[in-house]
Amino acid sequence: MGVVFSRPRTGRFWRFVPVLLGGFIAVFPFLPFVNDYWVDVGFFVGLYGLLGLSLNVVLGEVGLFDLGHAAFYAIGAYTTAILNTTLNIPVLLLLPVSALVASGFAYLVMSPVIHLRGDYLCIVTIGIGEIVRIIIVNNPWGITNGPNGITGVGFPTLGPFVIQTPMQFYYFVWVVVAFVAFMLLRLQKSRIGRAWNAIREDEIAAEAMGIDVRAYKLLAFTLGAALAGLAGNIYAAKMAVVSPQSFLFMESALLFCIVLLGGLGSLPGVLLGAALVVIFPEVFRRFASFRLLFFGLALMVAMIFRPGGLLPRRREILELDGLDVQGFSAEKVSPVRIGQVSLKEHSPVQVPCELDPCPLLEVQGVTLRFGGLVAVNRYNLAVYPGRVTSLIGPNGAGKTTLFNIITGIYRPDEGRVLFKGEDITGLKPHLVVARGIARTFQNIRLFPSLTCLENVLTGLHCRGSSGFVSTVLRMPFQVQEEREFVETAAYWLYRVGLWEYRNELARNLPYGKQKYLEIARALTTGPELLVLDEPSSGLNERETEELMEFLQRLLQEGITILLIEHDMNVVMGISDWVSVMDMGSKIAEGSPWEVYNHPRVIEAYLGKEEEWVGSTS
Amino acid sequence: MRVFFEQLVNGVTVGSFYALVALGYSMVYGVMKLINFAHGDLFTLGSYLGYTFLVWGAAWITERAGLWWGVLGAILFAFLANAGAGILVERVAYRPVYRAGRLPLVVSALGMSIFLQNAIMAVWGPRFQVYPSDLVPVASLRFLGLSLPLLKVVILFLSLGVMFVMYWIVEKTEFGAAVRATALDREMATLLGIDVQRVILFVFTLGPALGGMAGVMNGMYYRSIQFSMGWNYGLKAFTATILGGIGNIPGAMVGGVLLGVIETLLAGYIPGGGAWKDGFTFLILILVLIFRPTGILGEKVAEKV
Repeated sequence: MGVVFSRPRTGRFWRFVPVLLGGFIAVFPFLPFVNDYWVDVGFFVGLYGLLGLSLNVVLGEVGLFDLGHAAFYAIGAYTTAILNTTLNIPVLLLLPVSALVASGFAYLVMSPVIHLRGDYLCIVTIGIGEIVRIIIVNNPWGITNGPNGITGVGFPTLGPFVIQTPMQFYYFVWVVVAFVAFMLLRLQKSRIGRAWNAIREDEIAAEAMGIDVRAYKLLAFTLGAALAGLAGNIYAAKMAVVSPQSFLFMESALLFCIVLLGGLGSLPGVLLGAALVVIFPEVFRRFASFRLLFFGLALMVAMIFRPGGLLPRRREILELDGLDVQGFSAEKVSPVRIGQVSLKEHSPVQVPCELDPCPLLEVQGVTLRFGGLVAVNRYNLAVYPGRVTSLIGPNGAGKTTLFNIITGIYRPDEGRVLFKGEDITGLKPHLVVARGIARTFQNIRLFPSLTCLENVLTGLHCRGSSGFVSTVLRMPFQVQEEREFVETAAYWLYRVGLWEYRNELARNLPYGKQKYLEIARALTTGPELLVLDEPSSGLNERETEELMEFLQRLLQEGITILLIEHDMNVVMGISDWVSVMDMGSKIAEGSPWEVYNHPRVIEAYLGKEEEWVGSTS
Repeated sequence: MRVFFEQLVNGVTVGSFYALVALGYSMVYGVMKLINFAHGDLFTLGSYLGYTFLVWGAAWITERAGLWWGVLGAILFAFLANAGAGILVERVAYRPVYRAGRLPLVVSALGMSIFLQNAIMAVWGPRFQVYPSDLVPVASLRFLGLSLPLLKVVILFLSLGVMFVMYWIVEKTEFGAAVRATALDREMATLLGIDVQRVILFVFTLGPALGGMAGVMNGMYYRSIQFSMGWNYGLKAFTATILGGIGNIPGAMVGGVLLGVIETLLAGYIPGGGAWKDGFTFLILILVLIFRPTGILGEKVAEKV
């Protein structure tokens, strides 16, 4: 199959920009006007570029406010300085060691706080940055030498070759930047990069699509810290001195500005941001003490006129013209096929069912209280394979809460949820979806600034296994997996009629199409049970009918459906079984017609007969 | 025991500066969801404005109106001038960026902070400035065996009084209800006919004004001020805000006072604690957040799924 990968639609010119830029960086020290001073400036552009790239992993890709990034940089620098001056370990050998120590530190300190949201995480990172600096200043066990810092760090040596002149350092840092940028580019276009971006866009939806949000956030922090550790090593080697003065809060704030000046998540943007932040004060050097004044002004002006950064990230555009989507068949790229492969890995024990036919999903006596309010009260529900089960009830009855319990967003106070006979109560959402339950949300939760194709690809996250190493090395199985992902995603996009919108950002789609995109995203996870929360809300009559037809086709293909629905035409039209909820409890269940005429159901929707009499008299 | 109580009074006094600065942080955060990094530097600005007022004009006022009036004049001057500065900052640095979302706003705030700090340095110079000390009587108040300098007591009661007024405005008046409603749900507040622009103006005027006031009191308490001290105060105030529960105005006051007390006691009782106190402060903050992710008085906000 001739799939064309990653061919940006932008013109030929843009493809040469990285080459030209790389060429410029390579010959820069040999340009006629460049003296050692400007080579050093070039070195610092590279160093801050590296730091910017490291923060960009956390801030740009995952959207975590990290205003204490200098802590990881400091730890890298001090690891190198301490081990080199006391144990005489060669500086170059300490490059990976510094990265490892910094990332290990990040893992340890971020693990307990990684669940904090937005600004709370921000203040914690500021706190960590300050704590690290204060520890360094206070010279514990005499290892950091307090405010004076450590002097006499050696030069990096590789056999007889020593890195010591400005030009050698210049090339050293830029080679490291090139390696790191290459690695990050590969990560950006992979399962990992998509997972990071999905978390940034909508954490809950990301979790519901099978992304282990906690693990991926920690991965971002450890990787970011490792890269900052590299920068710390290079800094220590270049300056031969490290002191706490270099790792103030201002340093973290500066890195933050580099990432935003360039453009969140944009690698060339971050390098440009670093160049501006380093070169700007140099150009204004003759204004001496006013240069920071101008820098502050420049930051404001930049944000007023280019709030998205100077070189904002462009979403990857895949042309995929060689992909014969019409030729695909359900068997070929069926989600169920992928699902079954993975299910074997996820659930080795099959508990035999005593009931016949055995329910696919069983909710047994589930109760959930919010404070004094009993949102769901000892609810029982059985969903049989190959059927449509509807959950109906007045607004506020607790239907969505029950869905959230089934899909793992809430943990019930009492009761169990069984899926294919296995207890899945309290499993986190990303594990539930991996077992084969996919969902949509009442208020559409797409990843607004990812393309439609990327949205759908995210659904495949839980079916993949490529990790950090295989992505960076682009191992054959990772390439194969990515190819299969794109085919499956393309198939489902085509099925819901959004193939032509594949490169459009999700937020630009009209409402009805967004609904289909969300369903397609759920379907690519390869579910056996599809849980839809009010799929027809906001759709007009014709669209609703199309949706019903689509759902019925899914049913024929072996996907069981559980839905919350208010539109009685939909409920009556496609349901095999209806369960009615009011005030958290089940008040009736049965076939659609039984329920439709059930006195308690009528009462729940319309009120009691006596009340009507009472209110009129 | 006497030492402990004296330390406690010191802690509450320092804490009340933090609380006044934190109030501005918290109100702006509540309404704008913006971490106003320039707030700490507005505090410094207030401190310098008060300094200039005291050096140039306070003696004149004190001669004619009696002791204390010069100091009160300086506080009032810094309060009013900072209110104007707050409006200006909002116009120049924030209003043009509102639509762009939160992150550009943070960068703009950082830019404003760097700008203000360096502008203050350009005007008043990079060296420490020392507040004049001959404006208030050097006397001590004896109370239950404690000896408390009069200046400290006045500062303490002044800031507690201001906090009480703030609490009353925000919790008991109709306009306060509008501010709280805007903080909870800006769109809904607009729909209910609340003039959100007025609320924004209010927080950007009153916040820096309170900060300026705290700046003057801080100057009289510690005597020496420097152009770069705002960073640290801003950070402390932000910490206090989060400690109390972000966007929660009584929380900011509680957080500020608590922070001051913790710091002072740590510095006073742990040998060598002075050098470590900021580290401990952040450690306590992190521990509080691990066990109460929304601060001490912050309410748990469940995200609607």
